[in-house]
Amino acid sequence: MAAVIRHAIAEGLIVLRERAAISVILALALAVPIALAGVGLTLHHWLGPVADLSGQKSSVAVLLHPQMESGERRRWIAELATDHPDWTISQVSSSELAERLQRWFPYLEDLMDSGDATLPPLIEIFTDNPDSVTELEDRPEVLAVGPRSSIQQTLGRVARRLALIVGVLSFVLFAVAGLLAAVWVHLELYRHADEVIIMRLVGATEGTIRGPFLVAVAIPGVVAGALSVVGSLVTVSGLSKLASTLGMAAMSIPLGILVLQLAIGVFLPLLAAVVTLARHSTDATEN
Amino acid sequence: MIRLRSVSKEYERRTILDALDLQVDAGEFVFLTGPSGAGKTTLLRMLYAAERPTEGEVWVAGRRIDEMVRTRLPLLRRKIGVIFQDFKLLRRKTVLENITFVLRIHGVAPREAHRRAMKVLRRLGLQHRQAAFPDALSGGEQQRVAIARALAYQPRLILADEPTGNLDADLASELLSLLCDINYQGATVLVATHDHAILESIPARTLVLHQGQIHYDGMWPP
Repeated sequence: MAAVIRHAIAEGLIVLRERAAISVILALALAVPIALAGVGLTLHHWLGPVADLSGQKSSVAVLLHPQMESGERRRWIAELATDHPDWTISQVSSSELAERLQRWFPYLEDLMDSGDATLPPLIEIFTDNPDSVTELEDRPEVLAVGPRSSIQQTLGRVARRLALIVGVLSFVLFAVAGLLAAVWVHLELYRHADEVIIMRLVGATEGTIRGPFLVAVAIPGVVAGALSVVGSLVTVSGLSKLASTLGMAAMSIPLGILVLQLAIGVFLPLLAAVVTLARHSTDATEN
Repeated sequence: MIRLRSVSKEYERRTILDALDLQVDAGEFVFLTGPSGAGKTTLLRMLYAAERPTEGEVWVAGRRIDEMVRTRLPLLRRKIGVIFQDFKLLRRKTVLENITFVLRIHGVAPREAHRRAMKVLRRLGLQHRQAAFPDALSGGEQQRVAIARALAYQPRLILADEPTGNLDADLASELLSLLCDINYQGATVLVATHDHAILESIPARTLVLHQGQIHYDGMWPP
């Protein structure tokens, strides 16, 4: 196994040296959609707590009376759910409410410092008919009913469209990058067909034959992953500054998304290469 | 070592091999001769599983190879050293790399591969050409590199297709004595040639192939 890996790296580097220009193009073609997807996911993650991204139902925020005890509140919510089976009611925890307030109103830091306990209990009602929630305005348990067409929903609509555009664009660019990797491997396979035939005849296994091609696409993939991480960090930093000027909280890329970007950088071209080699390595080099 | 049972091969309705039966025991030295188009190369290609017969069974080193799955062929081919008529050298690699490359494929450590390759190059008088690329070599030198590569991993069976075709009389004789040495060490050697001078230089079992059938099987000259 060690010999196969050593051989794959040595021969893969030779292929890369011979085709330096196309490896750079492949790395860039991969880096762009990965960075785009990374920024899209970061925005989704950042907007998630403050915007309705599910897009299935309208949500209406209902502020409950702060003096209501928790047991009494639970019973009241259960009754409400029984009376209105078409409503989906979710309680927003005080910590989540604090996070939302901090994201939208970072200048309220002093208020937040006094602790979550000062915040009134909030529930969200998801329904197809947001007007039906207005009936709660007269209830003594309710302090206020939020707007039925809130900024949350507007933001959600905008975010959903943006996510769709970014998603489609990323998908198309991913497909193009994958296709580029596959076509490159295919051409290299034909260019090295004589060598592959000789390798087969002298007893090389498929792993030994295919390894160099996999290394040759994996290295631009690693570079693409790294470039995409740098690209998304720069973009998100710019967006974060923009958010700060609008008085909103700073934005940062979660570590998981960065790791995912690196993984996709390696995985996508490898997948394209594996499929291409599986389909064509024997046609190209019969023996 | 080699056993063929009623092996036939047809290309586009033309019979190349016709119900051939053959047995070569381990340690034998055998010449395979016959006119051009008699089926010598096709027979050799079947023995290293580059061709499958239209009918019949092909057994090599105790394994039936005409039905062998592709993934098992590498292990079989590692037991066979093939000296190809058209050399089949890797154009982008030097003489030394052509040999170490094969040894590395066979799992030999780089240092040991280098040592073995140098040893076989010295034996074939090619040590001074170790850094040359195949295209810079004469036909005879390329032939010797192909031979060196086949011998480097000490296979149990050596198949040689016209191995002296590009060599002068002295080198041809040297090569034959090399193949005899390897044969004395226990390897089975099957040499396809149409050069009668070679057949007469070593007393060995000779198979004469004509129109896809073995017309003569015995010592040469008859």
